[in-house]
Amino acid sequence: MGEKLLNKSDIGKLINELGKEYSIYAATNDKQGNIIFDKIEKAEDILLDYLNSKIPPKSVLFPKVETLFEYEIKDDDIEITNPKDLYEKRIIFGIRPCDAYSFQLFENFFGYGQFKDELFKTKKENTILFGIGCNLPRQTCFCTSVEGHPHKKDDVDVFLVDLGDKYLVESISEKGKNIVQKLSWLSNTTEADIQKAKELSKLAEESMSTKIDIKKVIKIFQENFDNPIWDDISMSCIGCGSCTLLCPTCHCFDVIDENDPMSKKGRRIRLWDTCQSSIYTLETSGHNPRPNKVQRFRNRILHKFCYYPTNYDLIGCVGCGRCINICPVNNDLRNIFNSILKIEKKEEVKVV
Amino acid sequence: MVIEEENQNIEQLIRELARKLLEEKQVDVIIGYAKGTVPLSSAPIVIDKVEDVDKLIWNNLCYINLAKYLVPRIPQFTDPEKGDLKVGIVSKGCVGRALIHLSVEQQLDLNNIKIIGIPCNGIINRKKIEKEIGEREILELSVSGDNIVVKGRDFEQTLPFDEYENELCKVCKVKSPPTIADICIGECLENPVIMDDFTDVADFDSKTPDEKWEYVKSLLEPCTRCYACREACPMCYCNLCFVDQNKPVWFGKTTELSDIIIFHLIRALHMAGRCVACGACSSVCPMGIDLTFITRSLEKIAKERYGFTSGIDPKTLPPMMAFDMDDEQEFMLEED
Repeated sequence: MGEKLLNKSDIGKLINELGKEYSIYAATNDKQGNIIFDKIEKAEDILLDYLNSKIPPKSVLFPKVETLFEYEIKDDDIEITNPKDLYEKRIIFGIRPCDAYSFQLFENFFGYGQFKDELFKTKKENTILFGIGCNLPRQTCFCTSVEGHPHKKDDVDVFLVDLGDKYLVESISEKGKNIVQKLSWLSNTTEADIQKAKELSKLAEESMSTKIDIKKVIKIFQENFDNPIWDDISMSCIGCGSCTLLCPTCHCFDVIDENDPMSKKGRRIRLWDTCQSSIYTLETSGHNPRPNKVQRFRNRILHKFCYYPTNYDLIGCVGCGRCINICPVNNDLRNIFNSILKIEKKEEVKVV
Repeated sequence: MVIEEENQNIEQLIRELARKLLEEKQVDVIIGYAKGTVPLSSAPIVIDKVEDVDKLIWNNLCYINLAKYLVPRIPQFTDPEKGDLKVGIVSKGCVGRALIHLSVEQQLDLNNIKIIGIPCNGIINRKKIEKEIGEREILELSVSGDNIVVKGRDFEQTLPFDEYENELCKVCKVKSPPTIADICIGECLENPVIMDDFTDVADFDSKTPDEKWEYVKSLLEPCTRCYACREACPMCYCNLCFVDQNKPVWFGKTTELSDIIIFHLIRALHMAGRCVACGACSSVCPMGIDLTFITRSLEKIAKERYGFTSGIDPKTLPPMMAFDMDDEQEFMLEED
């Protein structure tokens, strides 16, 4: 029905065509060889066959530094300039299902209650996601344990499956259908292609080596805020913010006014912030409700696996495994789960 | 066979000494390294029971400087009744140097610790390996003969250890911690004399200012300011880092290049004559930024100008903490 085929040799053609109307953001190398999502100038720079990006694609819609507005004081007037790229029509090409799901989670946070974040909302509305299924999830991936799947299509507009020398292109949303329709040169699929995509999806699911009983984990977290086990599991943590900054679901930011009294110009910016920083909760009075590492560590875990489920009835983790791979002291999230799952066992024994 | 055998011997040494210290109650707890859960890692671990000594390991991925956990002390090192516990600490050369330097800076009471000296045989440059392997998942890493063997789903690659060792380890002259009477057991160095020609930084030094600027720019650009370098550094123990100072703000907090560079360069200035060249900052950087050129340049300046090497002698004050009438002061403007 909605499925089409794209030869790998035609990726350049596709990108050039889409690039006429949209800015293309895709995985590419930074100057140190890390994979990041960035604006693509040449189709050759796009990486599609990658494990996952070092910095999640949240950086496209929620950049590390974002100008909220700029101002200039002129005589008795103030001139305010709003961000220019707000209505930029974007395509995020080759996003993984886990990262695409993280945008759904973002929408809860940025659109919660009566206060909507217009910046994120507008950008998201003007963005089309081209997802790509993971045929070979990493050992550290666990998306299937947190309501995800290596071939989950729900959160993207167009979904690609790598069939070897070509991609199966499936349009998912209305936006996706419209854009695929315009690409009339895409070839038609055969039953065998669709069958192969299904098999790949199943194989990918079966190859997930990490499986977590997340419901149980959430329940134990909810009941063990004060458990001394937090001292043990946070022991090795050095309190850097790499796990949070490189997490696709971490959305905390800091708002700062920068002004230059000489030129009478300035700007208000927002930056990625991390709850692992000691000044994150520091109040103006000098009081800090989370003065120690263990409290900050606990906040990171409980925000994802306790507060998020309580507030939005969703899990605040997409199972990408980035935090496991990059933690400098190998404080593995899976070990944390294993440690806390042992708490329950002990209590069960007590009850009996 | 060489490196594998060395690793086994070092691991054996660690376990024997840890057992002895715990059995004889010379220490209450021991901090060392445990096996990591992902191939290019190791995990710091604290043990307090003799039966746990076999959890302690040694391999060429024990890159964390364990001195970090003593300044400030983690809660595991203090007992509500006994107060400060006596800590045994598995020490490769740079951990020992960090401990000594921290005691010089009066951040640490050496009498409270026991240095378990081991002859480090070099740490693997995991970022370089990741770059080499690229987008293929590494499932296993082992050392065989003089090579590092990296295995994945459908590949196996052999890389020469010499090439994939940390740049700092290649030029390290203090593989084992310097000896301090009554504090050290195991393999330690008696009065190490450091002869270093700093040829490894000659290349950076010979660059023109413009070239240096370009190099620094492209090196630091990926920085996300997670501060893993600072948090892993045993010498970064300030209660409030200059860069976190926000009443008033001292430095820009963005990840724009000028702010990133100012953070790294000012942190570097704070390390002059203090850095112990453990390389933890580079090993932990999630973005693969190698700060070796900064640390080595600092070592070189401290050595050339003041004849000082940090973390060797517990009695010599570092140049930035001492004042001498004969200090060079060519930067002062003189009359005439």
